Amino acid sequence: MKAVVCVKQVRTLGDEVEFTSDQRDVDPDFVELAVNEWDTYAVEEALRVKEAAGDGEVVVVTVGGDEAEEALRRCLAMGADRAIRIESVTSDVADPFTTARALAAVVGPEAPDLVFAGVQSSDSVQAATGTMLAELLDLPRVAVVTRLAYDHAGKRATVQRELEGGLIDVVEVDTPALLTIQTGINEPRYATLRAIKQANQQEIAVIDGSSDGAPAYRVRRMFVPPRGEGAEPLGDTPAVVAQRIAEIVKARLS
Amino acid sequence: MPATRQVFIGLSPPEIMAWYGLIVVSTAVFVWGASRLVMKYRRGRPEQLDHPWKRLEQMVETVFSHRWITRRDRLAGAGHVLVFYGFLLLFAGTAILGLDSDFTVPLFHWHFWQGGFFLGYKLVLDVAGLMLLAGLCTLATNRWIRRPERLDYQRPLPAVGDRDRSLYRLGDRVFVSTLVLLAVTGFLLEGLALAQARPSWAGWSPVGWVLMKLFILIGLDGSSAGVAHHAVWWIHGLAALSFVASIPFTKAVHMLAGPANVAVCNAQAGKELPGLPPDAEPSEVGYAFITDLSWKHLLSLDACTKCGKCTAACPAAAAGYPLSPRDLILDLREYAEGALGAHSALSLRPHDDPNQSVLGHPVRPETVWSCTQCMACVEICPVGIEHVPIINQMRRQLVEQGNMDALLQSTLETVYTSGNSFGEAKRKRGRWTDELAFGVKNIRKEPAELLWFVGDYASFDPRNQRVSRALAEILQHAGVDFGLLFDAERTAGCDVRRAGEEGLYATLAEENVKAISACEFQRIFSSDPHSYHTLKNEYPSFGGVWTVLHHSELLLELIESGRITPAVRLGYRVTYHDPCTLGRYNGVYDPPRRVLEAIGVDLHEMPRNRDNSLCCGAGGGRIWMKEQRVAGTRRVSEQRIDEAVEIGALDYFVVACPKDMTMYSDAVKTSGHEGEIEVRELAELVLESLGLPPVGEREAVSAATP
Amino acid sequence: MSGVLIVAEHLQGRLRDVTRELVTAAGGLGGPLTVAVIARDPGPLAEAVNLSGVDEIVTVRVDSEEFEVDSSQAALEALVAERRPDVTLLGFTVNSMSFGPAVAAKLECGFASDVFGIAREGESIVATRAFYGSKVQAELEFPAGSPVILLLRPTAWSPAEGPGQATVTELQVSPRTARSRHLEFVEAPPSDVDITTSDFLLSIGRGIGERENIEQFAALAEKMGATLSVSRPIVDAGWMPSARQVGQSGKTVKPKVYLAFGISGAVQHLAGMKTSGTIIAINTDPEAAIFDVAHYGAVIDLFSVADELEKLF
Repeated sequence: MKAVVCVKQVRTLGDEVEFTSDQRDVDPDFVELAVNEWDTYAVEEALRVKEAAGDGEVVVVTVGGDEAEEALRRCLAMGADRAIRIESVTSDVADPFTTARALAAVVGPEAPDLVFAGVQSSDSVQAATGTMLAELLDLPRVAVVTRLAYDHAGKRATVQRELEGGLIDVVEVDTPALLTIQTGINEPRYATLRAIKQANQQEIAVIDGSSDGAPAYRVRRMFVPPRGEGAEPLGDTPAVVAQRIAEIVKARLS
Repeated sequence: MPATRQVFIGLSPPEIMAWYGLIVVSTAVFVWGASRLVMKYRRGRPEQLDHPWKRLEQMVETVFSHRWITRRDRLAGAGHVLVFYGFLLLFAGTAILGLDSDFTVPLFHWHFWQGGFFLGYKLVLDVAGLMLLAGLCTLATNRWIRRPERLDYQRPLPAVGDRDRSLYRLGDRVFVSTLVLLAVTGFLLEGLALAQARPSWAGWSPVGWVLMKLFILIGLDGSSAGVAHHAVWWIHGLAALSFVASIPFTKAVHMLAGPANVAVCNAQAGKELPGLPPDAEPSEVGYAFITDLSWKHLLSLDACTKCGKCTAACPAAAAGYPLSPRDLILDLREYAEGALGAHSALSLRPHDDPNQSVLGHPVRPETVWSCTQCMACVEICPVGIEHVPIINQMRRQLVEQGNMDALLQSTLETVYTSGNSFGEAKRKRGRWTDELAFGVKNIRKEPAELLWFVGDYASFDPRNQRVSRALAEILQHAGVDFGLLFDAERTAGCDVRRAGEEGLYATLAEENVKAISACEFQRIFSSDPHSYHTLKNEYPSFGGVWTVLHHSELLLELIESGRITPAVRLGYRVTYHDPCTLGRYNGVYDPPRRVLEAIGVDLHEMPRNRDNSLCCGAGGGRIWMKEQRVAGTRRVSEQRIDEAVEIGALDYFVVACPKDMTMYSDAVKTSGHEGEIEVRELAELVLESLGLPPVGEREAVSAATP
Repeated sequence: MSGVLIVAEHLQGRLRDVTRELVTAAGGLGGPLTVAVIARDPGPLAEAVNLSGVDEIVTVRVDSEEFEVDSSQAALEALVAERRPDVTLLGFTVNSMSFGPAVAAKLECGFASDVFGIAREGESIVATRAFYGSKVQAELEFPAGSPVILLLRPTAWSPAEGPGQATVTELQVSPRTARSRHLEFVEAPPSDVDITTSDFLLSIGRGIGERENIEQFAALAEKMGATLSVSRPIVDAGWMPSARQVGQSGKTVKPKVYLAFGISGAVQHLAGMKTSGTIIAINTDPEAAIFDVAHYGAVIDLFSVADELEKLF
């Protein structure tokens, strides 16, 4: 049983932001990096499938520069067996098409039984890379999986996917397949610093991610949206705030 | 004929032979039991025993002064002094007697146990016997009449699967009774022997003399006395030999294990926690199996006399958490015995599996997580048991398994990614200085005399930021040359280490040491006792060796050198709460008090103060964990505020730790005492006493001026 | 051929609101507007989608009664190949995520999702979307000459209304082997609470900290005459049933008063409540996105306000 998990090192902004000189991206000084939250659930799910199967391999892949290796080490510390980093190909904000093409070149040859990706990344929220990758690899896919039951011998998986409104759609999919994993599917295990440090000794294969082909989009301009009027302040002390709330509630509901 | 006594008087040669035979048997049993104990300890992890002679010296001093036993319970302490010295003298007496009759006389024909020596001996031993009896009566009175709560073996939170403790109570009674029996029969023997022989020197055994007179009075003649003597002799002898044989298997083992543990225990236990080699395997991290415990810790389990002082001092136990330090130690001890000790060797039930982890059963994870690592238990234990490091080692294994509170897990992840427990951007660490009317040096860019390691709470928590600003104002006023690390500062890691994430702690320590080492300064200070403690005591093993002060020490220095002079004598009625990491961990009790004295407040001590201070409940990472009290109990911080309010008409509850500020500010509200007392930090009071306006007003003034 | 193609979204036989919103969005782009209905029984859906502004409705019959990836993808590929629209619009929904990007990858189109602003500039399309947790926004442009597929954010446009006069045609699409099959639906467990019918909702989010604190707010809600609702993290943690969840994957609500404690205002949550009559937000984070939609707000500790409110009701 081999599972490949695509992970992303995402960028988070604090409350301050400045842009690069061409106004097309955020100044890296204002950015903090972290593993994409959805991907930790995906890695955990892959590890559980491997543990249930008794043996197998979990490979984690990411597209990014040196700094993305931290995310891979975290996954290795959780229990992944191998990690591959695909050297970033574009200095632009990474679009799903470019990323998917780079991933396909590596994931395809691995010939996995399952490919996991997070539903979306917290910085881009395209929710597209996984599906595009599945298309490039010609894999069946299910998006927004909240529960997985994998039948390795029968080459199929029964999954639950969460639709809007809370309705659950139960789907059976042929494997190999790609699944995009939703938060809440499991509880990702803690990676101790000891394990992360030992993962520092593990080798991460670095592959050049060149690809031809147009990106899905190009950022023309990035900006901080103008804030609206904003909410009317209610007061400084709890007592005053509570009083105002009570007045508003009574007025609106009468 | 010089005064002496014939040994084995009235015993026939076969009886004497039988007696020596029994000595051999009892000694053999004792040796077997003792060797089983040693074998049990050897199953534990190795640990170096450094400075053996110094340790021996210190052990002798500690044991003979009884310093550790007499604390916080004068009655029991006095009783034990009497029992200890009484027993020791009587034991020495028997040894002297044996030395004379079995060695020096047959081998060298030297009979020293006679004459003046003999008479002195008799007198001393009579006094010793009285001491023993008086001590036993005192202890018995304490245990069964005064009945302190700590001696109730009932588990605070019983659970299914807990072992029955009623045998312990029986054991206590047997122990006391045996010793009483030995003392009483000893005196009886004396009296009967004197009644039979009626020597002229009988007065040298005062108690014996009284008994002799009594026997004579009731008409006991020589031969009846002899018969009685014979019977009592065997009772006394058999009781003594049984007692000796039983030592390794009963409560009496504390006579050996106690001093042994006092000798091997680490003075820095809990204060300096051991590191972890970077290539450690998951199974080598912390304690999971009973054999993971170091041999010293396994030994310490047997030293426990169930006195309960640890549980009585424990803040978690006081707040209804599933932790009783005494029960933890006893559970581990019972398991060690059942898995590795005589019980397991003799296949006595219950039999425990040394290949099964103790985490889960008998030690529940929630027990391990309830601890605030405040060191109250280690501080008061009369035999030097190290509950805190043992719990810490178990936490390391639980962290390794990911078996921890979800909030703790996410906080540890936050500390790893953001470098602080608040999840704030590193850039925002120094933001609290923005509201100051003056600039603060970045010590990474320019040298300063003092490096101020601020700490997470003092940097990011709004209430504590006010304290930081107050302290900055004082330093500015005094012309102190200080600087901050700003963005380069990370969580110092004291609580991360105490929560059991040793790998993360090492990373934080390495990063902080690197950043600090690149700066130019003379000394470091912090207003956060946790940061202060770990920088001072634990960073040296990561290459960071500096002079580190707590801000109370620095303020005292400034006052004493005249660099700041209190202009206003604040007449407030205050009490002072000793923070665990400043007080018990580092012995810094006086500087804050002397500062308070210098600024003219009226200090009323808390009933439990200094080394007996009651933890606020936030330490050991607990501030990052869910509360798990039993419903109906009051939080330990609320109990502390209750205690303060009891003092009556106090203006302020003075703290010197950011977490104390947070915990007690909340507790004042939730305990229902809002308006009756207010929490104030030491630096805020000092600022006020300098006649400078409080920080809030300053900001308003500087904002108003164009 | 130029123009806009919309793929209608439906569930259990009913047209979803997002489709009507797509019609409004398309209106701003100009050119003929075609709506595709991919279903086993497209008839009733085609009627429902015959709205003002729609020029043509194309139906594609598929075997599966409910959404199924491979047939939807085959249908869309055929539609794009045949109709050659400049822009194809889908809703940014769980179903569209499964095949929209795939078609874009296969046909090498421009692509973006969670778009909430589109405009035509001459021959090209410019789309606006957010990045980095909604803190910044960006204008995107697409490779010249390629068709563009966009997934639009639900509730970013108002739904189109009014009948239209669209022609209805059918397109035959050769079936593709289905590699996944819908088995059944599982309804969220029934609950006696229907937060969508309440006039006054008191809503709590991650900011309340621990599970034990829910009780305080539940009691406060009852005292104030409000129904308690929650944001997603509370349901994810297992503290409350999903019947109480407000948001895109929960319920959409529109009470007269929405009082939010400790809710940061993630996009998916806002989508579920931003049309409420009066929104009052209490949060300790001054940057919380909920303040952008709230009418009244306070950056203050939630519990102290809750304590004070308890005294007033």
